[in-house]
Amino acid sequence: MGQSAMIDVRPMPAVTELSEPYWSGTRRGELMLQHCVDCENPQFPPEVSCTHCGSASLNWQRASGRARLYSWTIAHPPLLPYFAARAPWPVVAVELEEGVRMVSQLVGLEVEDYEFDMPLVADFEKVDEEVTLVVFRPAESK
Amino acid sequence: MSGRSTVGGKSAIVGIGTTEFARQIGRPEEVTALEAIRSALEDAGLNPKDVDGVFQVEGQTGEPWDVAHRLGVENLRAFSTTGGGGGAAAGPVVWAATAVAGGLCEVAVAYRARNRGSMQRPWAQSPARPTDRRAFDLPYGLVAPAQQIALTARRYLYESGAPEDCFARVAVAQRDHATRNPRAVFRDPITVEDVLESRMISDPLHLLECCPETDGACAVVVTSVERARDLAQAPAVIAGVAQGTGHRHTLMTNLQAPDPLVWPGASAAQDLYAMAGLTPGDVDVALLYDMFTPVTLYNLESYGFCGRGEAGHFVAEGGIDGVDAKLPVNTHGGNMSEGFLHGFNHVLEGVRQIRGSSTGQVANVDVALVGAAPVVPTSSFLLTR
Ligand SMILES: [Zn+2]
Repeated sequence: MGQSAMIDVRPMPAVTELSEPYWSGTRRGELMLQHCVDCENPQFPPEVSCTHCGSASLNWQRASGRARLYSWTIAHPPLLPYFAARAPWPVVAVELEEGVRMVSQLVGLEVEDYEFDMPLVADFEKVDEEVTLVVFRPAESK
Repeated sequence: MSGRSTVGGKSAIVGIGTTEFARQIGRPEEVTALEAIRSALEDAGLNPKDVDGVFQVEGQTGEPWDVAHRLGVENLRAFSTTGGGGGAAAGPVVWAATAVAGGLCEVAVAYRARNRGSMQRPWAQSPARPTDRRAFDLPYGLVAPAQQIALTARRYLYESGAPEDCFARVAVAQRDHATRNPRAVFRDPITVEDVLESRMISDPLHLLECCPETDGACAVVVTSVERARDLAQAPAVIAGVAQGTGHRHTLMTNLQAPDPLVWPGASAAQDLYAMAGLTPGDVDVALLYDMFTPVTLYNLESYGFCGRGEAGHFVAEGGIDGVDAKLPVNTHGGNMSEGFLHGFNHVLEGVRQIRGSSTGQVANVDVALVGAAPVVPTSSFLLTR
């Protein structure tokens, strides 16, 4: 319960055995989702079993990258120092064509022009050799 | 679930106790917990040695058996710690009622001690390299609960067509109740303009729509309805209890649920009313968890007081304003104005309403509902006279 200092870097995923297929996918420019072998439902984020039916049989399939804008917020301080220095900081939630939703960011569009349910496509933002983040841009601008 | 429960109506809350609420109380949680528990036992006309069950919320200093040890309990027959963060607010009462009804123990205390006024908020400890689910949120800057709730709140406004200031109306209505409550940390009246002009935290949420961190402790005593008849206070009978998560719930953003705006509270509500044999229309006053203003609306819809997308309109039309509202809500001021005891202060207010002793007393209360944070694995109960 200490008062340790906040991290001053942008948090980045630790690639784990469970999430490795997702992050190797983004490095290739592919958005990969877990699918259940038994009930065929997709899920996100990765889990050790199917959250629809409990099955342990999962595989990875490439998603279309097509999505719509579910919602967004614009974060103001207090924030982690990295984001505080760049605030106001927009964060979005998108709904993929496959039905799962994910947190992300929009590129190629000012916040004033965000519209609910607007069509989006996945894009890929290389951070370093290990991590490439998936972001989204308006479908027509690609 | 069948309505033929062996828990509903079998136990009652017979004592309530609290410390003062403050930004910094200056005493550790182990100490304030005992102060609140002793005060609740005294209120009930019971002694520490009568206690044989201890039920708590996660995230505080000390285990249930530490409390029993310090009270001089001869044998702690039943104990548990409920998880779920703010969703656990009603959990210790759920399990105390269940244990008393099932004969595991006879006199149970349920409590929450929380010194957070002087502590760093949990999100400030976010790791640089998250290994869990946060790996998919933190890189994008979705870090704090305010931002997580703001995501669904903005979608809520869009889907419901509710007025933009419906969230602010919640803060104003609750503050109004707090102006009459001497325990409340915030007692100055506020207006919708004050809320909308306060600093933006995470659009659309302003500072006055987020609850403060507070220090303090609250406790209640639960025993059988038979034993309750011989005690000092009129019993608040626990007519029904519930927990719930709903399907594919993933904490505060709820993004993987079939509909993110249908929350765990809605699942708990179905079981709760079924156990008690009551409906939303029977409820005279509701004490609803409110760490951010939209959460009060989510609770109004979860517990069936409004349909999906209707709570914003209901609140904007004055539906929760004052003690004679269509549905009086958080008559103590809630987490936002009385103090953030993680919703356990709502438990005590529910009992006061049944006894007729609230500073925001509603006339002729037969049924009170206490609902924890509906946006995480949650809990709730119904009280009757
Ligand atoms: Zn499955």
